[in-house]
Amino acid sequence: MNDEQLLDERVQVLCTFGGGLNPCTPVKFRRANGREVAITEIGLRHPTIQGKRMVHMFDVTDGGADYRLEFDSERLTWRLTLEADHAE
Amino acid sequence: MLNNSYNASLPLVMHIDLNSCFATVEQQARPMLRGKPVAIMNRRTEHTMIITASYEAKAMGVKLGMRFRDAKKLCPELIGLESDPPKYRYVYHKLLDIMNDYSAHVRMKSIDEGVIDFSESTQALQGRDLAEIGYEIKQRLKDEVGCAMRCNVGIATNRFLAKTAAGLHKPDGLDVLTSQNIREVFSTLELTDITGIAGRMERRLNAVGIYTPLQFLDADPATLHKMVYKSICGLEWHQRLRGWEVDKRDFPIRTAGRQYVLERFDLTHEQVLQRLHNLCESTGYKVRSQGLVARGVAVHARSHSRGYWHSRHMASVPFFSNQTIYSIAKQLFANAPSDPKEIGVTCYELSEASENQLHLFGDELVREHEVVDAIDDINKRYGERTIHSADTLNTGHYVKQKIPFGSTRYL
Repeated sequence: MNDEQLLDERVQVLCTFGGGLNPCTPVKFRRANGREVAITEIGLRHPTIQGKRMVHMFDVTDGGADYRLEFDSERLTWRLTLEADHAE
Repeated sequence: MLNNSYNASLPLVMHIDLNSCFATVEQQARPMLRGKPVAIMNRRTEHTMIITASYEAKAMGVKLGMRFRDAKKLCPELIGLESDPPKYRYVYHKLLDIMNDYSAHVRMKSIDEGVIDFSESTQALQGRDLAEIGYEIKQRLKDEVGCAMRCNVGIATNRFLAKTAAGLHKPDGLDVLTSQNIREVFSTLELTDITGIAGRMERRLNAVGIYTPLQFLDADPATLHKMVYKSICGLEWHQRLRGWEVDKRDFPIRTAGRQYVLERFDLTHEQVLQRLHNLCESTGYKVRSQGLVARGVAVHARSHSRGYWHSRHMASVPFFSNQTIYSIAKQLFANAPSDPKEIGVTCYELSEASENQLHLFGDELVREHEVVDAIDDINKRYGERTIHSADTLNTGHYVKQKIPFGSTRYL
């Protein structure tokens, strides 16, 4: 149907915190296999409440594939939960 | 009193409609999807119905309600995605926040459209032109949600014409319908382009010689009243088409329910009941979340052998707990077809929880209320289905909460 890959991978994320409407901006992340992905655009950031924890979903792209990063604001952890490249 | 003239007052009702909402939000969130045909479904299978298609998919002939398998024949490169309600709810709330910045008189009609009624308070305009505000809202949507977000804006003297205006130039249009241009605009439309006119209504209008929106506009109120609608609705249409407001009203909630297309058609009766139980749990929560209690439960099933089947029961006293809803639904379901492909449960005869008289067994009811309230509080705090019946333990994976269409009560 499509090439979405659901993951649950702990990743290291380099992120900037500034002003404006989206103060938290992930810049790049390193996957468990050591591969670094440079983020070129944040498509959408939306918060979700998971029980009493707030988890921020960042849908991002590196220009070749789309990724979903989840930031758990209680545990201060980042997880990569989706990868999709929609290659023809 | 019936107005025969067009409403020539300043158009102060603004309708805002997100274009192909769910598909656009997905294309916003996932840049690699932009410019590609995308279809959103509630379940990722070949047989599932498409609930939203992107403009690229629509251009290839993909329509809402089409099965994904059939749509794929029309558009082989179609990308199917499972709906992601939290994302759409977030965009809904962002749009609502933006609209609330302009007026206190905002009414969301559904998850992807809403109305700002500036006629309630022209002070909110602060001397600005409504079209200017419309363009500003469009820009804010792009700035505050994302650059791929687009919306249609329609401005008119009533809700109906504002919605009609919003549909004139999709995607990303802004149109103003006034008493001056209404005939010109209507001359470009088909009868079924008008909101509320579909196949059956079109045939009824055709039967009295009305074939075009202009003929509908010129129709005599008595014809609409006595021959087409055979009710006051005919007179309302006469006023609505002329730009007079007849739709500024809220309807009380009458029913609450859920339905589910089974993930497999070879489930045992026990497994079907577990899924029904899950539906009863979320229906019960819906009823209680609105501060209501119910007196009736209706169940339905669609099957290969018996088609549509339904049954209902009205209790003598109101109820609110999942357990009571399920126990009634389960009894009713004893006569259900053995090979269902879709099941559903609805609570009806809803009333305010506080309106009901104290029952003879008040203590038991109070105890039940406290237990149910405590469970709801825990589920609200720690996430839905933190506490649920052991019977529905393995059903949450299948029976997921999806998007409530047509109502924003549960968003």
